[in-house]
Amino acid sequence: MLPGVVGLIQATEIIKLILEDGIPLIGRLLLYDAMKMKFKEVRVRKDPECALCGEHPSVTELVDYQAFCDIHLPGPVPPIDINEDLYELSPQEFKTAIEQDPSAVLVDVRERFEWDICRIDGARLLPLSKFDPDTCGLDPESSIYLYCYMGKRSMLALKELKRAGFNNLKNLTGGIDLWAVEVDSDMPRY
Amino acid sequence: MKLNNEEINRYSRHLTLPEVGMAGQLKMKEAKVLMIGAGGLGSPLGMYLGAVGVGKLGLVDFDVVDHTNLHRQIAHASADEGRSKVDSLRDTILAGNPNIEVEVYNIRLERKNVLELFHQYDIIADGSDNFETRYLINDAAYFTKKPLVSASIFRFQGQITIFAPKSGGPCYRCLYSEPPPAALVPS
Repeated sequence: MLPGVVGLIQATEIIKLILEDGIPLIGRLLLYDAMKMKFKEVRVRKDPECALCGEHPSVTELVDYQAFCDIHLPGPVPPIDINEDLYELSPQEFKTAIEQDPSAVLVDVRERFEWDICRIDGARLLPLSKFDPDTCGLDPESSIYLYCYMGKRSMLALKELKRAGFNNLKNLTGGIDLWAVEVDSDMPRY
Repeated sequence: MKLNNEEINRYSRHLTLPEVGMAGQLKMKEAKVLMIGAGGLGSPLGMYLGAVGVGKLGLVDFDVVDHTNLHRQIAHASADEGRSKVDSLRDTILAGNPNIEVEVYNIRLERKNVLELFHQYDIIADGSDNFETRYLINDAAYFTKKPLVSASIFRFQGQITIFAPKSGGPCYRCLYSEPPPAALVPS
């Protein structure tokens, strides 16, 4: 319902601009919090240093927005470089492997709210947001089978484990979303 | 430009408001608004702008209606699943008010197409869902001197403002000189 409220405020402001009437939301940022049911207004000002509309603009034409937005956190260490294909298993291969491997440990690196929607039986939850190979309690000698929603986050976790000395690692290609399509049709998709 | 008798009857509750009146209703009929995004924000936005009689709406979106959109993108019905969002939204808008013109652009907004598009409209409405597009829209609106009515939502919170640097207000870059690092961008 949130987009309805916000979209209609946007519509109201557009009509006011067209009618050239009322006090437009220029220089004011309106914040709406549905849970608290509060509106807050923040004054926003033109920045004289602005790269676009400031006094000495550096952006004088359209730029490469993909490059501009592709900045990464200065994290402690970037993920290690491995041949990811060697660790990927299709949902069916993944299923067979965990059934046949007695030392298999199934790890779900999604967040708890996702875990609450659906999960693969027998998995343990170790969210990537708090993932630490040294304190997660996993045994480097066991076979670790990782999955997340689409397969990307679990690959990051896999690389962390690899760096920490784990060797028997597998990743569910396409994550639990593809698992729901190819292995377990009773599982909900989100 | 004039209103026909059906329009006069349709908009009669506007026409009797002194703040709108015939002059205001004609301003709306002459107005051209370009909406970026035909999803959660674009649905109510387009439906209302169409219903009140904004003469021309442009809809930009390259996405198709997905099952998981239906609970909030109210212009799209279950039967629209798999259709392009702009087509679906256009049909909903025109079903409500056939007097207006709706132009659809089933494209991804890019550096090479944005300026030509913005030149054809009076007001830009941003309901996009990523930072790249927000900066692109901001810069293009500035270069084409169009007011940008900007809205965004995240979880249970929404933000709305108008960026109109030509009228003395800030632009999006004045508020956010740099995008958040990729790792912090919610997907």
